[in-house]
Amino acid sequence: MNVLGAVVAKDLKLAWRNRSGWLSAAAFSTIAVLTYSFAFDLATGDVRPLLPGVIWTTFLFAGVFAAGQSFQDEVDDGTFDALMFSPVGATSVFAGKLVANLIALLIIEFSQLILATILFDVALLTPELLGIVLIGTIGYVSLTTLLATMGGHVRGRSVLLPVLSLPLLIPLLIGAVRATGASLGLEAGTGPWMLLLMVFAVWATLAAVLLFPTAAEQ
Amino acid sequence: MTDAGTAIAIDARGLTRQYAGVTVVRGVDLALPAGSKTALLGSNGAGKTTLLKMLSTLLTPTSGSFSVNGHRAPSAEVARSIGVLGHSPMLYEDFTPLENLQFFARIYGVQDAEPRIRDLLDQVGLWRRRNERTVILSRGYHQRLALCRALIHRPAVLIADEPETGLDPEGIELLDEMALAAPGLTVIAATHRIDHIDAWATGIVRLDRGRVIEDTSSVGLAAPEGAPA
Repeated sequence: MNVLGAVVAKDLKLAWRNRSGWLSAAAFSTIAVLTYSFAFDLATGDVRPLLPGVIWTTFLFAGVFAAGQSFQDEVDDGTFDALMFSPVGATSVFAGKLVANLIALLIIEFSQLILATILFDVALLTPELLGIVLIGTIGYVSLTTLLATMGGHVRGRSVLLPVLSLPLLIPLLIGAVRATGASLGLEAGTGPWMLLLMVFAVWATLAAVLLFPTAAEQ
Repeated sequence: MTDAGTAIAIDARGLTRQYAGVTVVRGVDLALPAGSKTALLGSNGAGKTTLLKMLSTLLTPTSGSFSVNGHRAPSAEVARSIGVLGHSPMLYEDFTPLENLQFFARIYGVQDAEPRIRDLLDQVGLWRRRNERTVILSRGYHQRLALCRALIHRPAVLIADEPETGLDPEGIELLDEMALAAPGLTVIAATHRIDHIDAWATGIVRLDRGRVIEDTSSVGLAAPEGAPA
């Protein structure tokens, strides 16, 4: 536990020190939400049917911007090797990256939900919607962290990550968009979509934990 | 145990590694006595780095196995027994030297880490610069700090790949004193500095196209010429 805590603390501190990737993601998502708010006619129409798409496309691309950055820095500096031959298990290395990426992305997402609440005049900071965002983000970050590891030594990896991850994320996106819509009262009950989201999050996390040691050695 | 009754620190049997069907290291057997200093020699592409990566548990052998101080690799015991010094310093550039060593001390479970860190940074001349970002340090200081990282947990075995890279003559003296010729520490280091191996090595292993063609690593453990007492 002490080792896991050390790895997580290290990843968070490095994410803060080298925050250009996350700042780009925050800037991108702010511009996206602002642009959407100008594009929709807020005075005459109900914008709620559009919000699930607005929210999740913004989150998705914000994450793709920055998810691979921390792993890439470790590969470039050789510190990933230093972790792999140390007594730190591969699972702890993965957990450190996962938690740091998760916290950074959740901060961006929360700030965008506040911004969207103000701009679209729709209550988005409900416990139900925050739960959907949390579960969806766990599944999303697990998968993108694993894929960033697998593509760490490949040329053109910045292109490879979105190309590899987006098709795999389709079930998560469907579940997240539909659950968000249901939480905004656009359809009845979030239950089935929440279940899909949770199954995806558990599957993605388990797959990532199991495959990470192999991906790391490659 | 060797014939002379010395314990074996690294015992490797039939280590082989293939990349995409090409055999880079083939059937390497090693029996390095505890406290021995072995220079790993060979031309470019001979398999030195791949062999060292297997011994440091970064690469899984395609076949064969090895143990360190009687512990079969890979295991947490082996990880705690080895220190690794590579081409790259393997340091967090956005951390200070102090933060780098504090982090590695913590993951290796070093007791009483602060005096150990101060001692190491003092020895390599970095204590005064302990709070500066590592990224602004020179290549030589990076390598000195990497030496501290490799030794922070007092390993029994040091695995080094061209450890002299980037070091000035004073840095090479420090490397000899703290690591390569340090009493009791078992060392296996790949090097192209043939002129320097007399200062620390007690034996050599020479590789050619992945095979061992000369091995004097367990011949004797007489103190190398010029090594500190």
